[in-house]
Amino acid sequence: MKIGAMLGDVFGSLFRRPATRQYPFERRKAPERLRGKLHWDAEKCTGCLLCVKDCPANAIEVFMVDKATKRFAVRYHLDRCTYCAQCVVSCRPGALQMSSDEWELAATCKEPFTVYYGDDADVEYLMA
Amino acid sequence: MPDKFIIPIGPQHPALKEPGHFEFTVDGEVVTGASVRLGYVHRGIEKATESRNWNQNLYLLERICGICSHTHAMAYCLGVEKLAGVVAPPRAQAIRTLVGELERIHSHLLWLGVAAHEAGFDTLFMYSWRDRETVMDVLEGLTGNRVNYSANVLGGVKVDINGQQSDSIRKGLDFLEERTRHYLEVVTTDTVFLQRTRGIGVTTNEQAERLGLVGPTARASSVVRDIRIDAPYAAYAEYPVSVVTEAAGDLEARFIVRIKELFESYRVIREILDKLPEGELQARVPRRIKAGETISRVEAPRGELFYFIKSNGTDTPDRIKVRTPTMCNMASVLALAVGHQLADMPMILVGVDPCFSCNDRSVVINGGGDCWTWEQLRQYGIDYYRRKP
Amino acid sequence: MNAIAALLIFPGGLFVLFGGMAYEWADRKLVARLQNRLGPRWFQPLADTVKLLAKEEVIPSGVNSFLFLGLPVAALAGALTAALYVPLAGLAPSYSFPGDLIVTLYALSLLTLCTGLAGANTSDRFSLVGATRTLTQLFSYEAPFLLALLGPAMATGSWQINQINQYAAQHWLLVAQPVGFVVALIGLMGKLELPPFDAPEAETEIVAGALTEYSGRGLALFRLGKNAELMIGLTLVASFYFGGIANPLEFFGKTLGLLLGLSALQTLMARLRIDQTVGLWWRYGALLVLAQWLLLILAQGVMA
Repeated sequence: MKIGAMLGDVFGSLFRRPATRQYPFERRKAPERLRGKLHWDAEKCTGCLLCVKDCPANAIEVFMVDKATKRFAVRYHLDRCTYCAQCVVSCRPGALQMSSDEWELAATCKEPFTVYYGDDADVEYLMA
Repeated sequence: MPDKFIIPIGPQHPALKEPGHFEFTVDGEVVTGASVRLGYVHRGIEKATESRNWNQNLYLLERICGICSHTHAMAYCLGVEKLAGVVAPPRAQAIRTLVGELERIHSHLLWLGVAAHEAGFDTLFMYSWRDRETVMDVLEGLTGNRVNYSANVLGGVKVDINGQQSDSIRKGLDFLEERTRHYLEVVTTDTVFLQRTRGIGVTTNEQAERLGLVGPTARASSVVRDIRIDAPYAAYAEYPVSVVTEAAGDLEARFIVRIKELFESYRVIREILDKLPEGELQARVPRRIKAGETISRVEAPRGELFYFIKSNGTDTPDRIKVRTPTMCNMASVLALAVGHQLADMPMILVGVDPCFSCNDRSVVINGGGDCWTWEQLRQYGIDYYRRKP
Repeated sequence: MNAIAALLIFPGGLFVLFGGMAYEWADRKLVARLQNRLGPRWFQPLADTVKLLAKEEVIPSGVNSFLFLGLPVAALAGALTAALYVPLAGLAPSYSFPGDLIVTLYALSLLTLCTGLAGANTSDRFSLVGATRTLTQLFSYEAPFLLALLGPAMATGSWQINQINQYAAQHWLLVAQPVGFVVALIGLMGKLELPPFDAPEAETEIVAGALTEYSGRGLALFRLGKNAELMIGLTLVASFYFGGIANPLEFFGKTLGLLLGLSALQTLMARLRIDQTVGLWWRYGALLVLAQWLLLILAQGVMA
């Protein structure tokens, strides 16, 4: 039975740096498996729509521009995504990847939260 | 005229991390009555599972609780795989077990800090949460997220362990083991802290059995009940754990049980890393699961987590029922409250490690139907387990 | 004119208010560093006070609004009055008369009493329990703390703080009355409601204790009063037991050294229940200080 069982820790802390990491002045490098923003590779996509079916948050939408030549456009909602990577697993051709360094995704208005992937002309045509 | 002085703790209260409404009738500082009202975090998850397919439900159920999320996902995956007749490959099961034990470490360290904070011992709170960062960094390097790891998929796991991961896990565990030894010493020898935990909230073995306690709360009263040993799931048959019990049944015993479980977790993780089986990570699970019903039980950090899954052959489930461990332990708080001081109430509550988000399920009782006696129910259970292969 | 400046600006009035905030910052920063974290920046207590003064003061229903608005003012007034008689900043006290030790201690108790009354005033259950605990704690540490501070008074042969200060400069009473020092230190922790004696404002049990219903200006005044109490309490114990305070350098050095000791004790201990606090005080605190007094009386009898 003693008073001050944490004396060793407490005394030692006077001579140690605080454990607080002062973000945003110091940033740790994110691990490579971090699940950040989703990226879509148009070359590999076959349009099977499994990612759309399996997304728990309806965050990804795939639009057919031309099924024969496999031209698609993708609309991805950053604010709905839960960053679970189920779409990455469901996609057999491997067209989806989650970035490991784009994770500071906060914004002050709604526009940055809707991301379009695909040919620019296709996107314009679809959104019209 | 008797004084009915009711102190409400919750729904908004600094003692509670999540909302719940406790009403303690006090006479001076001595509690003479207690009642509870839950349901503030009810989100209708069980109903929501009925309109999502099996893959989507994994992530929905994972978010029932932030700190036992992997156990929810694991229970769901094990149950669905049982229905579909698929067995996940051994490497996947081992990785599931490993992440589950890492989550147990995470949960117990968090609990240690919160319990110390409720006692007013902020120093232990700050230090144990600083050390918890280590296990969260390990989990982030391994799975990609610090909370809600999403390591499971139906049929296996998403993430693999390579040599570098293994090294970083071991390094983290070495650091944590030394710190845990220090915390065990603090919790059992610090005079002022013992004044708040020794002899408070004593639950005898007989009371624990009668109230139906589960998890470390029960094991602190010498109840030998641990699903990882009673009904091994995932890879616990290959990497067994030993049960940790204490006899005193008071708050100090609950602290000691949880800290000693941390040592068991470190040992099991090291064993898994040493003897990780080779193989693939996922087995193929069909999109439409065969019709049937099944149960699956896992040992969450708080106790026994119970899932009932019913499929009707389509790609959305028919019914998923979740019974979380806090549901069993909550009644003991009320039973123990009477006779203690008001200052002991937050300590007793935190001693059962409440997780209100897990807690809030709803039960619909329809009128009619046939009524079973205790003997019939017991016989049904015996037959069910006899039939099990 | 000189007297008014001494009363309002230095070393009374504004100096006490800002000095109290500086000491609160020092306490919070030390506790944070001892817990291996960063701690607030230097202007945090000032920012808190300014913010609170700018916020709306919500008067709950069912209270006596005269008392509700007047008690914080009375509490701060008590603390500021007590500041006039202690050697703040190392200078001689502005006003000094025989017996002012008792007046100072009672002015500080007035602050605690006002806190208790403020809690009892409302119909909020947390405040009532907090008020009960505040007053219970007041009754338990008051006697030993008073006796521990009267030990040096007895050695000096006078109850005037100025004279005790000058006497202590020649005789280090820390060495002569160690038990008294320990009781005075623990008593100071009880008076300032620092852990392990912060049951009256136990955040995890009764939200904020007696001051739960206060917001805006009332809360700001109570906090300023508590900060002033911190500074005055430190000055008293440091000047009595650490060899007197003769100049500003000694003032800052000794009080900050004592604050370091207080912060370390704060971080090392959990919170005691109110019945354990009372038991501790009336069993060990009172007995220790009475034993010290007995020794003192015997020593004086032998020397005379």
